[in-house]
Amino acid sequence: MRYIKLYFTCIKRSILSRLDYKHDAIISILSFLFSNACSLCALYFILQAIPTLKGYSIAEVGFFYGFSMLPIAIDHLFSDEFWLVAYRRVQLGDMDMHFLRPVPVIFQMFAQTFQPDGFGEVIVGIAMIIVCGINLHVTVSFGAIFVLVIGAVFGAIIITSFKIIFSALAFIFKRSGPLLQIIYNFTSYAKYPIAIYPKVIRIILIFVLPFGLFVSLPVDTLLYGTYNPYLLSLCIIGAAIVLFALAVLIWTRCERHYESTGS
Amino acid sequence: MIEVKSLTKVFKKPIRGKGVLGMIRTLFSRKYKEIRAVDDVSFDIKEGEIVGYIGSNGAGKSTTIKMMCGILTPTSGQVLIDGKEPYKKRRIVAKEIGVVFGQKTQLWWDIPLIESFKVLKEIYQVSDEDYKTRMEFLSTVLGIDEFLSQPVRTLSLGQRMRADLAASMLHNPKILFLDEPTIGMDVLVKEKIRLAIHALNAKYHTTVVLTTHDMADIEDLCSRIIMIEKGKIIYDGPLKAIKHRFGNIKTLTITVPANIDPLEVAPYSKDVDMSSKDDKVMLRFDADKVKLEDVVQYAFSSYHAIDMKITDISIEDVVKQILVQQEEAKHA
Amino acid sequence: MLKKYKPFLRASAMDVMAYKFNILVWVIVTLFEVACLVFLWFAVYQSSEGGIDASINGFTYKEMIAYVVLTTIFGFVTFNNDTLWIINNDIRKGTIGNYLIKPISYRGKFVASNIGALLIMTLIFGIPLYSIGLGVLIGIGFLPIVSVWEFIAHIGLFLVAGVLACLINDTIAYIFGILCFYTTSAWGLNSLKTTIIAFLSGTLLPLAFFPPIFRDIVGYMPFAGLSQNPVLILMMKYDYFESAKVILIALAWLVILELFSKLLFCHAIKKVTVQGG
Repeated sequence: MRYIKLYFTCIKRSILSRLDYKHDAIISILSFLFSNACSLCALYFILQAIPTLKGYSIAEVGFFYGFSMLPIAIDHLFSDEFWLVAYRRVQLGDMDMHFLRPVPVIFQMFAQTFQPDGFGEVIVGIAMIIVCGINLHVTVSFGAIFVLVIGAVFGAIIITSFKIIFSALAFIFKRSGPLLQIIYNFTSYAKYPIAIYPKVIRIILIFVLPFGLFVSLPVDTLLYGTYNPYLLSLCIIGAAIVLFALAVLIWTRCERHYESTGS
Repeated sequence: MIEVKSLTKVFKKPIRGKGVLGMIRTLFSRKYKEIRAVDDVSFDIKEGEIVGYIGSNGAGKSTTIKMMCGILTPTSGQVLIDGKEPYKKRRIVAKEIGVVFGQKTQLWWDIPLIESFKVLKEIYQVSDEDYKTRMEFLSTVLGIDEFLSQPVRTLSLGQRMRADLAASMLHNPKILFLDEPTIGMDVLVKEKIRLAIHALNAKYHTTVVLTTHDMADIEDLCSRIIMIEKGKIIYDGPLKAIKHRFGNIKTLTITVPANIDPLEVAPYSKDVDMSSKDDKVMLRFDADKVKLEDVVQYAFSSYHAIDMKITDISIEDVVKQILVQQEEAKHA
Repeated sequence: MLKKYKPFLRASAMDVMAYKFNILVWVIVTLFEVACLVFLWFAVYQSSEGGIDASINGFTYKEMIAYVVLTTIFGFVTFNNDTLWIINNDIRKGTIGNYLIKPISYRGKFVASNIGALLIMTLIFGIPLYSIGLGVLIGIGFLPIVSVWEFIAHIGLFLVAGVLACLINDTIAYIFGILCFYTTSAWGLNSLKTTIIAFLSGTLLPLAFFPPIFRDIVGYMPFAGLSQNPVLILMMKYDYFESAKVILIALAWLVILELFSKLLFCHAIKKVTVQGG
């Protein structure tokens, strides 16, 4: 309860400092729009050159793509600070102040930044789902919607967990940004139906870096009823909880290695 | 309140090879050089003391302070803050200490100062009542009222330091660590900050440990000093004793029109140590034994001085003197 | 004259060395990432009308894989700069003022750093990575070598195009870095820069897949020289004439961008002195 109140106090501060820089908001919105436009264009250019992608039409691939943006966006909203930890803050010994406060450092990281840019992704993602969904004449069932919501929310927790784990490594190796970047880039493979990949990759994308678990499988369930939605939801929730617990454990272990710069 | 027992910190620094070949070699294997930044340091500090922790650059001051706050883990030895090791019980100790690093602010850069305080109030769980009374006291002592609504990035160095001091006192810590609190400030601002530290100490009986470069800081604030050089304590005791040991040493430096040959500098009295470099002549003397007036008069009558400067003994000088005396004592 | 830039060249090479762990991990994870791309393209080519042996927009499956592999290595070896972040840091901390007083050019410092990083990266990672990459591609017949001499000549042209790519990339980073004078969103600027380069340089997708008019326009922009053109030279998809043409275009852009950055820097500095910050 105390932490919820503290979180909102801190987030208010984060938003307050963002409001101070209007140019910046414009630039980040621009860069976000541009990067999404580019990926969509690239996808469209490729799909235009072929009739279907292993049997998936443009609208279907678009649906996968749009849905994949939701967990990514939710993660983006809450855990942007970990990028800085991985790339710079540990290396510069710039975390001293967090270690001097009577609050868990990992909590302070979440409370440090709230990134409203993520709302843009949520909007674009939902728009794509609706447009492609109408095109595909999707029949909406409660179970399917349920698994999508679970996939988006707990998928975000899974992405965040990976972010925590790989930024925590910075405490040991001083800088883990590039590594985190690479792991994070794998979310882009989750943007396509995993059926297009060979078996090994599919297994990796479900069990090792489970970005396929919460994007591809729920959408398959909605579009083709491949899996039992409630069972799948349970799996996603379970994976998210286990990974998040693991992430917090790894973070607190690595945190002890933090060393402020010498003199 | 603070117990430090044979505290040691060893940093490993990679030795990098020279040239391209050396670089390739470091890629595959790496040798480390050990640097003992803090070497077997022990001392106790009692409640309510103001202790100056001093030494020249790179002597190990900041490293010790950082271990005392819990953001560096000692290689060996122990720090106890109120009986707890800060680097092991970080969150518990954090409530009992306040820290100000002169070089880095702990405040949020982009938001008005008052908002920073509000966040800190939540972080340290300060009750509304305590917050109000403390803020009132801190604003009077530190005079932060005038810039409470300004974002921290727009504050001057002195203002920022006062804001940082207030922020670190908000939760009424038992111990306040100040790392170079007056660095880079002009005399008036330094004065203000010293007064504030005194007031805090008097009102809350806060134990203060401060590192500084400024001899005046020490004279104004500290009843006790701990002096460290190359990671080892070379002096721990009252300021008076050290003053007694070195007397009231001052240096008069005069500038003459042309470079002067060191041999030409005639001795004036055995109590005045004279030296010269380029176009400067330095006269070092104990102001309790020799009258400043006499020395100045002598200097101006013997040389065509075009400029003059009187300086108090610097920390570096004191350190040098202590080392020399210790060396002499060993031989004797 | 150039001697004073030597410390920067050395320092940046040293920095590269300091992060060997990250580099090792990069190699491992990138292998997996490239594998994913290989399968993605496999799925695309399998789905095409002509099947796996078809040529889509002038690229066969084999060529596409070779392109993906070489672009990845090229990006890793060539684009190693923190120019934007360093400038941003110098601006925020005010240390940029120090450089304006020193007798070295602020721009020259970055060029020296980046050439240093390029040299050391090529020496330590580039040579083995390219050898392995090209060896495997040639070995499995994904990159047919008709004439050895022609191949060697193309390697020479590729080196020229590669150095130009590194410099243009740095100039672009520098320009975006100067934009940090006008905004504090270095993060946004960097991601904007990264996206623009990834998309327009053909790293994301060869420009041949773009609609014709768009493709032609982008072809004359400086970005194609950053990644697609050097790699296509190496793959011998360009003949001597085309190679020379794209190298000249890159050179022209380098000069233009360099001049532009100079103008922009002057303008930005003026803004600072006026504000007194």
